Amino acid sequence: MSSRAEPMEDGLADRWIGEWVRLTAFAYRNLIMARRNVFFVFELTFWPGVAMLSHGLLTRFLDLTPQMTAFILVGTVALSAVQVCQLDVAYAVLFDIWSKSMKHQFLTPVRIRHLALGSWLVGVGRGVVVWALMAIIGGRAFGFDFLGAGVGRVTLFLLGCFLTALVIGLLVCALVLLWGTRAETSAWAAVNFFVMLSGIYYPIAVLPAWVQVISAGIPLTYFLDGIRAGYGFPPRFGHPFATGFALSLLYVVLAHWALAAAVTRSRRTGLLLKLSE
Amino acid sequence: MPASLLAVEAHDLAKTFRSGWLRRRETVALRGASLRVERGAIFGLLGPNGAGKTTLLSILATLLLPDRGTATILGHDVVREAHAIRRRLNMASGNASFVWSLRPAEVLAFYGRLYGLHGRALRARVDELLERFELTPHLKTEYNELSTGLKQRLALAKALLNRPEVLFLDEPTLGLDPDVSIRIRGQIADLRRQEGTTIILTTHYMREAEELCDRIAFIKGGRILAEGSPDELKRQIRIGDVIALRLDPAAPVGLADLAGALHVQARGDRIECTVDSAEKRLPEILRWLVEQNVLVRDCQVREPDLEEVFVELAR
Repeated sequence: MSSRAEPMEDGLADRWIGEWVRLTAFAYRNLIMARRNVFFVFELTFWPGVAMLSHGLLTRFLDLTPQMTAFILVGTVALSAVQVCQLDVAYAVLFDIWSKSMKHQFLTPVRIRHLALGSWLVGVGRGVVVWALMAIIGGRAFGFDFLGAGVGRVTLFLLGCFLTALVIGLLVCALVLLWGTRAETSAWAAVNFFVMLSGIYYPIAVLPAWVQVISAGIPLTYFLDGIRAGYGFPPRFGHPFATGFALSLLYVVLAHWALAAAVTRSRRTGLLLKLSE
Repeated sequence: MPASLLAVEAHDLAKTFRSGWLRRRETVALRGASLRVERGAIFGLLGPNGAGKTTLLSILATLLLPDRGTATILGHDVVREAHAIRRRLNMASGNASFVWSLRPAEVLAFYGRLYGLHGRALRARVDELLERFELTPHLKTEYNELSTGLKQRLALAKALLNRPEVLFLDEPTLGLDPDVSIRIRGQIADLRRQEGTTIILTTHYMREAEELCDRIAFIKGGRILAEGSPDELKRQIRIGDVIALRLDPAAPVGLADLAGALHVQARGDRIECTVDSAEKRLPEILRWLVEQNVLVRDCQVREPDLEEVFVELAR
């Protein structure tokens, strides 16, 4: 056997190991970056903490009932969890853009699924930390029970938030590979746009009718509907979690395809090289 | 040459970059470049800035899609079978950059994982490359704090992670101190000698090309103008012989007007006269200098170096 055969993956088991190793490469890099860069600490603690405190205080000022407080603070958690998790997915491409090392990544036999799922895993971990932190602050400062909707419902809600984050993160990566650094701000802007349409601090019924049609196409709308049902709000949709997951999976496939197409286009236009100079 | 002996075969590659929304701008980078590189060879791509060297290299390395033409690496098509050949090639460039907070071992471990290396094999390969490129004393230094030379050595180490059969080096010694450049050239030569790696490199340094490359292609305006071994190219591009003289008194007027003199360059008491044929013109020049009462203290005849060939072709 040639000494070059080291990274070959002939057997099925080898192939699965290869998949896992490539996938965890991105998780490994995101974790190192999270440990060494102070802005990660802000993402994880400062902004979610500030959001929870300011929204909690707002509910106090407005003298909202515990049920209405839950309605608002669930939205606050959703925004922070989705934001933190989708940023990790976007970092799979953004780190390479900021360090001008894009071409090295795409020179390797790596697939979109590796960079997406690897960085998403870290995003899920960080999202859970954000949720826990917000649960502690919300519970201690405002007496809000974050498990009040039931553990199962909360688990489904968080999973839904993280799947939404995966979709948004993949779309951000695709935008950056289509338009370069000009699209960088979408990493922070996109999530706010989607949560606004999902009924983040209000029922989507208050939105104009034509916007409600768009809202009905966003998975987070269903996940918010599902968890709020656990706090006693009548659900707007039948089987909100099932619908949300079905939509999420469809969008994950579409966003994956969009990113793959963006990579191919950037190889055609030369943007992939420009982002490495 | 049988196709199985070829590491790289490119035919009629063309690429135009388009930019701008309202006012479209087009930059033609390659206009039908073809080349064949034998397995185990070091092949040099030389040319002025904007000649198309990096574009050609990037197409071969599967980073860029050509508008026209075909290319195969180790028998695999670079467009249709890009994923399959990425395991067997790698690339390092002179202006390489990696994620700022990662340390050398972490950079190698990250890319090693992308090549499917893991566990003990990954650790052993990373340690071996850190040792080989003398990066071990810098294990605690983050990438953005490494010197240019160390960054360059790390880029080369990264490029060897998967033991590539074909290695692309885009100006590997760009901007480096002479001693670091010499060391890196030595490492490139060792790589071919010890592992039989096919290396395709672009460079601006003729000396580097002359020292390392078995064959060289001159590229300009997106076209390959000439190709051959360094000696073949010097013969192929007949730009004459150089007669170097040390004279007393220095630089007589009128030497450039002698028959067969193509170019005369004087520096103090030394003069370099490029002539169409040294064998034919040397006696005539010496005779003329005697007539001018000029004493010839030293005389050497040499072939033009690759740099002169390059200047001639780039004109």
